[in-house]
Amino acid sequence: MSEKYGIIASFPDTPSFFHAAEKVRDAGYKNWDTYSSFPVHGMPEAQGQPRSKVPVFTFLGGITGFTVGLLMVWWMNAYDYPIIVRAQPFFSPVFPFPIMYELTILLAAFGTLGGMFITNLLPQHYNPLFNSDQFLEVSGDRLVIAIEARDAQYDVIATRQFLEEIGGTDIEEVSA
Amino acid sequence: MSSDTRNSKGKQVGLIALAVGIVGIVIALFGFKQGWDTGEVRPMMSWLIALAFWLSIAIGMLFLVQIWYVFHARWPTIIRRQCEHFMAAFPYLLVLFLPLLAIPFLHENPGLLWKWMDGHNELPGHGTVAEDPLYVWKSPFLNIQFFVVRAIGIFIVFIGVATLLRKWSFDTDTTGDINNTHKARRLSSLGLFLTAIAMTLGSIDWFKSLEYHWFSTMYGVWFFSACIRAALASVVILTVILAFKGYLKGILKQAHRYDIACMMLAFTVFWAYISFSQYFLIYSANIPEETFWYNIREKNFDGGLNSWWWVSMGLIFGHFLTPFLLLLWYKTKVVIWRTVGVSIWILAFHLLDLYWNIIPGKLVTPDHGPGYIVRQFSVSIYDLSALVGIGGICIFAMCRSMKKAEPIPVRDPNILTSINYTE
Repeated sequence: MSEKYGIIASFPDTPSFFHAAEKVRDAGYKNWDTYSSFPVHGMPEAQGQPRSKVPVFTFLGGITGFTVGLLMVWWMNAYDYPIIVRAQPFFSPVFPFPIMYELTILLAAFGTLGGMFITNLLPQHYNPLFNSDQFLEVSGDRLVIAIEARDAQYDVIATRQFLEEIGGTDIEEVSA
Repeated sequence: MSSDTRNSKGKQVGLIALAVGIVGIVIALFGFKQGWDTGEVRPMMSWLIALAFWLSIAIGMLFLVQIWYVFHARWPTIIRRQCEHFMAAFPYLLVLFLPLLAIPFLHENPGLLWKWMDGHNELPGHGTVAEDPLYVWKSPFLNIQFFVVRAIGIFIVFIGVATLLRKWSFDTDTTGDINNTHKARRLSSLGLFLTAIAMTLGSIDWFKSLEYHWFSTMYGVWFFSACIRAALASVVILTVILAFKGYLKGILKQAHRYDIACMMLAFTVFWAYISFSQYFLIYSANIPEETFWYNIREKNFDGGLNSWWWVSMGLIFGHFLTPFLLLLWYKTKVVIWRTVGVSIWILAFHLLDLYWNIIPGKLVTPDHGPGYIVRQFSVSIYDLSALVGIGGICIFAMCRSMKKAEPIPVRDPNILTSINYTE
């Protein structure tokens, strides 16, 4: 029980939860998160989170799909085994388009899914927060802010006080 | 802003638009008259393009409003009212369509603009329209009487649906009667079909039949996608102006603009998908009756590239690729001036798309021999004046409508959701 993961605090309702998140952000904490069983609109901004990086993965996946489709058709129809179809050229950017298009969508979707897993650090089989019985109630009606011990500003006493000041209740230290 | 200042401001803008519109129309009609006397069709095409441009915006908005009703969309309620105002332009557009409808009845060559309207018209190569088996086969559909009946029917649908939707929506402002919303939703379920059929027939009659030889089953969908793109771009420009200078200040949020811009991205892809599919099907089938339509948009009879090749490339890279890549970017969808910039870009290329669809045609060679001449890309003063003229009248109609109702549907059941909308 010597290693600590961080401190959690509960909040009675969504507005106080939301404003508390803004205060944690303004206090300069970096390694912390909010937990609720439903999405709270505007929470990413209140937490000061940057925009998701997933679109970058989507874009890269799409570009890859487009290029692979183009090269695949060129390699098969014009290079490896040239075929004459309807007196049309061996290769042209026109007729592989459906394939390029489909592969763009497919690999963009894979990129999105993969990007979501990577940026969310999934799969994650163990999270110390589940050591807290209180935290388990988040899937019911509890609204929780957790500040992690690895944060540079973390201090057992000061952080606990800070969470009390911003209206947190049931404050608990969670072991790692 | 009090309703009096709002009205006087709107009245002022409306009157300026009307004055500019009349000047534009007078210049365009002067060109029209010259073309009428000399038998030169290009000034009439200027009129047709300008009409198509403004009509496509109004049709697109008519679609959007009905789609929003059918899907119970709550977020666009404040935007819907602005579209309803613009839909007031339909009766004016009908009046502005009449000069074109006069050609088959009053001109010595009924087929001056739509060449199939006169059987004596000579075709490039050999023969006349009346001797053309394809025309004979298509004549039960392509004849002047049926054409006029269809034109009337098309405008009845546009004006009828738009008038009812406007009436019920404006009525809710005073009565707060929820039945208006129900009625509008029921009408929209049917109205979408009617509007789709009317729009398809209109695009076939007015644009596609200019080269009546051609076959394409994608044409109506192409015009649909073009209409929606034009309408979305106009909605962005209109609402942003109203948010800066008018009554949408503080009401139009980033979330609304973001969603409209997302739809702009979706329909950019849809337009490309449809336009490419049309090309791809014809390319694959490789039948002369169909391929000529693309051939004249690329090459002259002698095989050399013509002006339309550049326009075609401009459409691929300017009307699809550039807005597509820009709109993929989150910042483009939320930073106001970037969204407006892309909207203006899309509207400009939408106009070029209409040029590309309407102007090219196969003309008889001077010595009436084999082969043909392609009518090349050109921009004339009459294009510009018709565009400004018809646009001025449409904006006048919109400003006039703005005086009749609240700036946003204040008692609409979904108004609160729309005002408090977040991403």
